[in-house]
Parts: sequence; structure tokens; C-alpha cells
Amino acid sequence: MARKILEVNQMTAGFLVNTDIVKATDRISFDLEKGQTLCIVGESGSGKSVTSLAVMRLIDYAGGMILEGDIKFNGEVLSTKSQEEMRKIRGNRIAMIFQDPMSSLNPVFMVGEQIAESLRLHQNKSDKEAMKAAVDLLRQVGIPSPEVRARQYPHELSGGMCQRVVIAIALACQPELLIADEPTTALDVTVQAQILDLLQQLKKNNDMSIIMITHDMGVAAEMADRIVVMYAGGIMEEGSVHEIFAKPSHPYTVGLLKSIPGFEDSHGEELYTIKGNIPRINELPTGCRFHPRCTHAMDICRKQEPGFFQLGQDHKAACWLYEEHGGDSIVSPAGAAIAHGEVRV
Amino acid sequence: MGEYIIRRTLQSVLVLFLITVFTFGLIHAAPGGPTQIFLSPGLSIEAGQIRAEQLGLDRPIPIQYFNWLGNIVTGDLGTTFKNNIPVGEILWPTVKNTIILMSVAWILSLIIAIPWGIYNSTKEYGVSDQTASFISYVGFAMPTFWFGIILQSFFSLKLDWLPLSDMYTMGKEGNMMDLIQHLVLPVSVLTLGFLAGYLKYSRASMLEVLEQDYIRTARAKGVKENKVVFRHALRNALIPVITLIGLDLSILVGGAALTEAVFNWPGMGRLFVEMANSREYSVLMAITLLSAVFVVIGNLVADILYAVVDPRVQLGKGGKA
Amino acid sequence: MSVNLEHTPNEAKLPATKLGKAKRPPGPWALTWRKFRRNPYAMIGLITLMIFVILAIFARLIAPFDPAKTDMMGAGIKPFVDGHILGTDELGRDIFSRLLYGSQVSLTVGFSVAAGAVIIGTLIGAISGYFGGWIDVIFMRAVDVMYSVPLLFLNILILAIFGSEFTYMILIMIFTSWMGVARLVRGTFLQLREMQYVEAAKAIGVSSWGIIFRHLLRNASFPIIVNATLMVGGAILAESGLSYLGLGIQPPDTSWGQMLSKAQEFMLIDPMQGVYPGLCIFIVVLAVNFIGDGIRDALDPRQKMHLSPRRLEQWRAKFSKSTK
Repeated sequence: MARKILEVNQMTAGFLVNTDIVKATDRISFDLEKGQTLCIVGESGSGKSVTSLAVMRLIDYAGGMILEGDIKFNGEVLSTKSQEEMRKIRGNRIAMIFQDPMSSLNPVFMVGEQIAESLRLHQNKSDKEAMKAAVDLLRQVGIPSPEVRARQYPHELSGGMCQRVVIAIALACQPELLIADEPTTALDVTVQAQILDLLQQLKKNNDMSIIMITHDMGVAAEMADRIVVMYAGGIMEEGSVHEIFAKPSHPYTVGLLKSIPGFEDSHGEELYTIKGNIPRINELPTGCRFHPRCTHAMDICRKQEPGFFQLGQDHKAACWLYEEHGGDSIVSPAGAAIAHGEVRV
Repeated sequence: MGEYIIRRTLQSVLVLFLITVFTFGLIHAAPGGPTQIFLSPGLSIEAGQIRAEQLGLDRPIPIQYFNWLGNIVTGDLGTTFKNNIPVGEILWPTVKNTIILMSVAWILSLIIAIPWGIYNSTKEYGVSDQTASFISYVGFAMPTFWFGIILQSFFSLKLDWLPLSDMYTMGKEGNMMDLIQHLVLPVSVLTLGFLAGYLKYSRASMLEVLEQDYIRTARAKGVKENKVVFRHALRNALIPVITLIGLDLSILVGGAALTEAVFNWPGMGRLFVEMANSREYSVLMAITLLSAVFVVIGNLVADILYAVVDPRVQLGKGGKA
Repeated sequence: MSVNLEHTPNEAKLPATKLGKAKRPPGPWALTWRKFRRNPYAMIGLITLMIFVILAIFARLIAPFDPAKTDMMGAGIKPFVDGHILGTDELGRDIFSRLLYGSQVSLTVGFSVAAGAVIIGTLIGAISGYFGGWIDVIFMRAVDVMYSVPLLFLNILILAIFGSEFTYMILIMIFTSWMGVARLVRGTFLQLREMQYVEAAKAIGVSSWGIIFRHLLRNASFPIIVNATLMVGGAILAESGLSYLGLGIQPPDTSWGQMLSKAQEFMLIDPMQGVYPGLCIFIVVLAVNFIGDGIRDALDPRQKMHLSPRRLEQWRAKFSKSTK
């Protein structure tokens, strides 16, 4: 079995709002193997971004904290490290890309300088060496005439260019793990595809593992080896990309897939939507957190929270439907088409 | 940039022109007009009229205005109505005195407030932050002249540590130590007032920057927290603060009338009050115009500073981003 | 093609009401009040201001003496002697009674200047922002001009020209303080003008004025209120300053600023005379500012949650206890 680069175990993260603790994730567990890409999907408010901030321990700066459980990176426990220790890991061994590239870059520094800073910090390069390396990195992420661009300010670059710069910053020290939080959401559709291709290619060249946070099932299909589906702070379903798209099992996952336009039985009909809204995590319903919006809700769903039921060798779902006949999917394989490449996303 | 400055300067000249029209209009809208002051006891109506004729006050108002404007442009501020003293002779010494007083207080408050406010933003609701917040509230709500009176009665009358008022002790004019002693109290009063605003502003500016995405990016890079604050955040937070400093340049001439009155400081503000009471309109016009010039220059300086410190701003090319 | 599954979370969702009764959710006013009420500073400010308002309204009934009545035999009486709670001044006038009557002046000036400036500023800002074009140019140049002269100078100048009768003074102060509101309203209107519901209102034939006052003003009202509250404090300070300079309230009428100007002359003999009126101004302005800040904070949707690591550790400990 491949080496596990990241293990998240029963992790609850939360924020202090006024005087109440508001949980953003609820005892979530997942692993990432070296060289793989894990996509965490879900609507906004599902806790996926908080998960990534927790892994980076940046949640501490956002007024939040890891309340219980632990996070291990190459066997090292991150969740109890001091910020000073984390600082040596951040940007060096674990790097992160954020959603909005334009606002993620400091407006008063030249972009080359922002890349070089990382190299000076973690690799003790001199100003000159770091700047030279920064230009090389810009070339690597596909920015034309990098020598010129390195001396420009973020506002002089387009959104797609900025995201390439952000990626260059993240890759500067050849991290083992890259966390990308909605890296393409703020970009035009054509640019999105370019950035995703770039990430794929860089992953191959640098032998990285990636955690990709997205609300976009299409992006997940393209990038992921494994998928974790999150809803209201909890994990609903987890499995390999093939399993998830071939046999989506949790009604929430099914709903997510069915709401992709031009997909399966939605032809010529109104686009499918999951009724209702994601609940606030401090106002969770009893039982299964999804039951108020679930079309298959049963009595037990309202009373008791389901554990995970194993559906295949590498596939599990937290849903009472599988209590007895573990393994079989309740619905037609909505995702099969994507997984088999029939629908290009 | 050059083109932008020229355009802004032309706009400023327009504003200044409007101000002169406005003030001139106001004065002539006064019941009885400016000639009213010659109707004082001790001066016969005829004598008053003769004096008014000498000053050209019997001519149509537009002609008076353009005469006045022509003189101003050539640097002639006119003379006082009553004693026929050139306005410049009275005005310039007071301008100097006001600038001495205000610049000391202003610079002092900037030196204290900006670092302190920024420090407080990194330690929100700590002891230092609460203290600064208290000072801000007091500074905003305290009538400056009252604070002056309290300081006077305590430090001058009760303890006799510092001089009560004026700029110099009689016979010690020009003595630096004497000036400093006289400066302590009025500068304290003014500094408290300025501190209130700058403390709040620099703290808020820094807090806003610390919430930005690029600060998170810096932390994600593994930048040390003090470098996050002093390298990545500070430069961004200073942009609005520096702009505000430019805008406030006009404080140097405009903001001290009350403090000058309390401490009997021979400055422009006190002169303005005196001249308002005795209705010396030529002096009032001159001071109004001069303070407006400072405001306009301050605005221009603020814009230029903004363009210098913020790479996103290119003057003359689509304005502020 | 990629797909956006993002569902906008329902921000207006509120705690469920009892028995699913279709109760109307509280409006923005009620929500603001709810948050305001929890702010101790704001509430202290509100109560303090209320007390001063009541004292001012009933000054005639409460005041033990005629504030203008001089009594050379009873000058400089110490506090609590002969019924003079705070003593008498150098002319034998009862200081406490004068303070009470002074509060009438200060509060009247504060509230009427703020109200007047808001009305004029809103009108000008609304017209400017809504119609744009040359009207806008003229009004905004006027604002520039007014802002280019230090406001204290402007007040002094106009007071000196027109005299300082009480109503004049209020009018003059309104004339010199409407610009902030005008800029604020204009800015809000420029933003809102582009919004869909204004287009919609136009399409169904609502007149321009109807749109301005029904739709747009409702949206601009909160920032105006905050601005107005802070303006009350500013006007009280300005009045006291002008009266101190001898340009405001003239004897025999009394105001706190004017009392201070007299008190300074008698500082050596009775320093406390200079303390009371200043303290009154300070407390009232502080109260008003607390209220203004309270409203502003209540309107701020962002939750403040910056905490020190030590505090966070305490909360984590509390949390793990609660889950056991």
C-alpha cells in the first residue's frame, strides 16, 4: 500500500462567534496517499474550505481552531504544533492556492518579489538567486516573457496570469502537498481549463499530492483520484473517482451529479436542484444532517445519525439506505457517463 | 503625472475663485454691507462716507470685487478699514506663529498615533488598545478649549510649572526655551484632539488590511508573523493614512482658533476672531483665502502621495483604481 | 463546460418561530435595535442622553433659581450653601440653574443643527446623485467650496456678519454642516441608481421623486442616521466653542460654552466654575458618540472574532469539557 501523506482523523474545527462555538467540520476523517489527488466537494457552507485552513493551521488566524481530533502529515502530528513550527512547513512542504487570485497577491509588491520571498525564507537563497529562480518558476507556470512580468505589479496582470503567479508561489519550494481551494472558480471558463491542465502537469513533474477543494463536480471528475463529498460539516460519501461517478450512493451525491446540466435524464427538462438550503452548522437537524432535503428520508434518518456503510473496497457512504443491502446503489448510475468519458466536462 | 497636476491645479484655481466670490458675496450680503463699521460712535456719518469712498466701497459690488481680485493676484492684500494698516503686515507674523504651534502638535500626534494605532490593530482589545480607544473617545468628546482651561488652572495656576498663556514671556521674545515652555500646554491640547482621529484611523486601516486575502497568502508562504504585519500589511495600511495626512495639511492653518484664544497665542485663528468682532473684512477675506489655498494644496499633495505609495494608482490614467 | 452547484445560502434565515406560525421576520430596524441593546456603551449613552433631555425639557420646573438673576450680595457662594447646589458665580447667579438652562441651548442646537443638516444634505445629495449632469456639477462644486474653508472660520465669519441671535446661529451652523450628508447620500444614490428595482420602478411608471423618496432613501437611511448622530455631538461642541469665543449665545441667555468663557476669567478664585459646564459638554457629547458608534456597530454585519491564543486555548478547553 502506498504511503499516506496526510491523515485527518476525527477532526472537528470551529469558530468562536460572539460567545458560542460554531463548528465548521464535525469529526471528519480522510486520508491522502502520496502522489494522489483528493477532491473535497460540496456546496458552500459545507466546511470544505475550513478543512483546508485547518490542515494549514491558518484557521488559527481566522478566529478559529481545531477543537478535537488530529491531522498527521507524513506521520507528524500537525494539529498540536506551534505556529513557529508550522511556519517552517507552510510554503515549504505544504503549499496552498486560494480562490481569488487577484486579491491573493499583495498589491504593493512586484510579483517576482512575492515568489522570491518564499525561496529566501525556506531555501536561504540570496536576493539575486531567489529572483532568478522566481523568473524560472514563472516560465514553468507558462507565463510569457517572465523577466518582464516578474517586475510587474499584480494589477497589471489578468486573473488567469495572477493565478499562475499564485501557483508559482505555491510551487516555489517544491512542496509535497498542495492544497488548492477553488483555484478556478474566479476565472473564465477557458482559463479554468488551462489552469487545471497546468496543475495536472505540475503534479506529474514534481511528484506532488494535491487536495483540491471544489463545488464543481466537473472539476472533480477531471482532477480527482479520490473524492470526499461533504455536507454541512460532515462527510457524506467517500470513494475513488470511478466508484463515485459510477455508483453515486448517497442521495446528496446523486443530487449533486443530477444538477449538472446536459447530464443523464435531465435532457429537455428543468435542471435538477436539491430542494432547500444547507443548514447552519449550529442549527443541524437531529439524525442525519441531510434528511430535511433528502428525497429518500426514512424514520430512522430523523432520529439517528448514520455511520459509514462500506459499499465497495474503496467506497463508503453515511446513509441508512445501505444498512441492510450494503453494496448496491439505490439509483441508476448517474455518474457513469462522466466516469467513462462520455460527457466531457 | 505632469498633465494630471496641471489639470488638478486648474481645478483648484477654479475652486479658489469660487471661494473668493462666495466670501465676497457673504460680506456684501451683511445687513448694511461692509460700510457698517464706519457708523461707529466717534466717527461722523460724513467722515465715514469719505473713508468709504477712499476705500472704493461706494462703487458697484462687481467692480469692487474685480479690483480686490486684481490686487490679490498681484499679492496686495489691501489695508484695514479702520487704521489703514497693510493687511500683510498684520497677517504674516500670525501665520508664522500658527504654523509653529500647529506643526509641533501635528507632527507629535502623527509620531505617536500611527505606530500606536498600528500596534493596537495586532493586539485588538488588549490593554494598549483599550487605552488608545479611551483616548480617542475623550479626544472626540472633550471641548478643546475646556481641556485647555483645565490644564491652565492646574499646571499654571495651581502648580505654577508652566506659563499660563502667550507665546513668549515679556522681554524674552525669540528665546527658544521660553517658547518651548509656552508651547507645552497648547500643544498638549491640540495633540489630544489630533490623536483621537489618527489613532482610530490607523488602527482601522491596519485591521482592514489584516483581513485581506494577500495576508493569508503571506502566512501560507510561511512568512513570520511580525514580517506579515510589518512588511506585507504595513505598506498597504499606510496608503490611506498617508493620503489622510496630505488632506490634513490644511490643519496647519485652520484648526487652532479656539486653542489660540484660550492660550492667547498670537496666531491666525485668534486674529480671525478679533477681526471678525471688529469686522475688518479685508483681513477676514485674506485669511479665508489663505486657508483655502492650504486646503487645496493639501488635497493636491494627498493625490500625489497616493499615487506615489500605491502602485495601482496612475495619475491621469483613469484615476483611482 | 463546468457546472456551478453553489447554492446561495439563505442569509436571512432566522431562528424558526413557534408552531410554524407565519410570523413576519423582524425588519432591519428591529434587528439593529436588538444588537444595539446588547451594547453596554451604547445603552449607557442612550440613558445618559435621555436624562439630559428630560432635565432640559423640565429645566424651568427643576431649576431652583432664576439663572439670569444677579445678586451681588450672594456672589461666589460655596456649593450646598443657601440651596445653591453648586454655589453661585461671580455675579451671584446660581450655577446649577444656569447649567440646566444651558442644557436647553446645547441640546436644541445639537438636535436642530443635525436635523437641519440632514434634511438639506439629503435633499441636495439626492438631487445631485439622482439627476447627475449639470445639477450635480453645481452642487458638488458648492460642497468643494464649503469644504475648502475651515468650518470654524466659516462659522465665525458668518456669525460676525449676520449677528449671533439664537435662531440665526442654528441656521448658520446648518448652512455650514450639510456637506457630509450630501456627499454620503449622493454616493449611495449613484450606486443604487443602477440597481434593478429602480429600473423596475421606472418601468411601471413611478415618478422620479417617487423613486427617490420611496426606494432609494430607504436604503440610504442607516448611514445617514449614524452620520446625524455624530453630527449632534459636533454641533454641541461647535456651539460651545463659538459661545466661548463670544460669537454665540449672548448674555443674559446662558450656554455651557459661554459659562466657560466667563469661568476662565475667574479661574484663580473659583476653578470649579470652569469644571461643571465643560463636564456637561463632555458627557453629553460622549453619550451621543457612544450612541452613534453603537448604531454603526449594530449595522456592521461582520462578526468580530479576533482573539488571543490564550483565549482560544480557554475556549478549546471549555469545548472539550462540554463534549465529555
